[in-house]
Amino acid sequence: MIYLDSAATSFQKPPAVERAMVEALHEMSSPGRGGYPTAMRAAETALECRIQIQELFSAQSPEQVIFTMNATHALNIAIKSLVPRGGRVVISGYEHNAVTRPLRALQAKVTVADSPLFRPEEAASAFEKAIRPETDAVICSHVSNVFGFIQPIDEIAETCRKKGVPLIVDASQSAGILPLNMRELGAAFVAMPGHKGLYGPQGTGVLLCGEISHTLPLLEGGTGSLSAQQEMPDFLPDRLEVGTHNMPGIAGLLAGVRFIRASGLRSVSEWDKKMAAIAAEGLNEIPGLQVFASPDFLAQSGVVSFLCKRVDTERMAALLGERGIAVRAGLHCAPLAHRSAGTLQSGTVRASFSVFNTEEEVRLFVEEVARIFKENIE
Amino acid sequence: MKQYLILVRSITYAQRLERALERVGIRSQIGRAPMELTGGRGCAYAVRISQNGLTAAKKIIRGDGFGPVQIWLVGDENFQEAEI
Repeated sequence: MIYLDSAATSFQKPPAVERAMVEALHEMSSPGRGGYPTAMRAAETALECRIQIQELFSAQSPEQVIFTMNATHALNIAIKSLVPRGGRVVISGYEHNAVTRPLRALQAKVTVADSPLFRPEEAASAFEKAIRPETDAVICSHVSNVFGFIQPIDEIAETCRKKGVPLIVDASQSAGILPLNMRELGAAFVAMPGHKGLYGPQGTGVLLCGEISHTLPLLEGGTGSLSAQQEMPDFLPDRLEVGTHNMPGIAGLLAGVRFIRASGLRSVSEWDKKMAAIAAEGLNEIPGLQVFASPDFLAQSGVVSFLCKRVDTERMAALLGERGIAVRAGLHCAPLAHRSAGTLQSGTVRASFSVFNTEEEVRLFVEEVARIFKENIE
Repeated sequence: MKQYLILVRSITYAQRLERALERVGIRSQIGRAPMELTGGRGCAYAVRISQNGLTAAKKIIRGDGFGPVQIWLVGDENFQEAEI
């Protein structure tokens, strides 16, 4: 199989991830629940994972690195900590349902800072105009999961700092791929999956907490600390991490983060981008396809969306699947992004890349798209 | 040599303290805090050090955002709270 759906999850993992998970099953019990060797081994692994992530994202301390089950979980904690019922929020036009659905549940008054695709200056300007003194929070994805559009997060963060409005960054498509400095951004929260660009296993996610006075636990229960007290602890990470930890997941995530740090963000990012650029260039040569690509690929990461008006996007993905190529079609859980790009009715076919893809795989993918297109319009 | 238990809020803080002490050459050991020291608050962790590490430990605790901690001198039959 040629796997081109790393924006959903990076299916191919470094071998060390699997080894670490198996080791965790054999040698680790529950961290923070005992003083015996297997509990302490688990605690050591959890701390090391926090430290590696803290260093990668320049977070303030290991305690401010919270393990979650995925980015959606992390975003829900962040949003529900900052946005009161009926609160005012500014978001980009490229947000995922992981942002818009919690906001709907909170009946938030949402302002969309609209901007065209691949125009970072216009995106920054739209946020500047939309953020008001009464705004409770700004939420912005660093990279669009549908189009790979790299949003101007540094500029948006600067605006938030100037206006004193807390910022939540959805780093689902950028964590482990693009540099993100929590301290420089001054963000209240950064949410990310562990299983995409960080190459950990599914079921892992991370919430980085900034200098915030209040966090809202989504769950209450045992933390292994202050057990006689019936309120949740007021300190991190215990306040937001409840119940037994996913130790095989955390051990695998640690191996994934180490892989990324050893590879270097720049080389990972350049490779993903190179794969996407080859794909976009090849797809652009197929007459009748509409390819969403940034000029010179400057504002785009390793994700390419396209559509062909005469072949349904789901059909295109299904036919590619039959030929052993895994891509995702439809709305990608981001109807707002499709509305912003004018593709809400058709959806798009999305190819997304990882360091495990090769140029040959990308060329085969382009050839198959051309073949399917030809077969289905003649 | 006298032994001290430094009670911290959670396993994560205990581990951070252990690593910080290690960086300045002080050996320590993490363990569950005796229930009698937790003041009715329930489970906690403690970092055990010997007297020669106490001054350095206090300096680390004051300077690195460890939050509320307690230091106890370990006696033969009981514990005696020490100043931070």
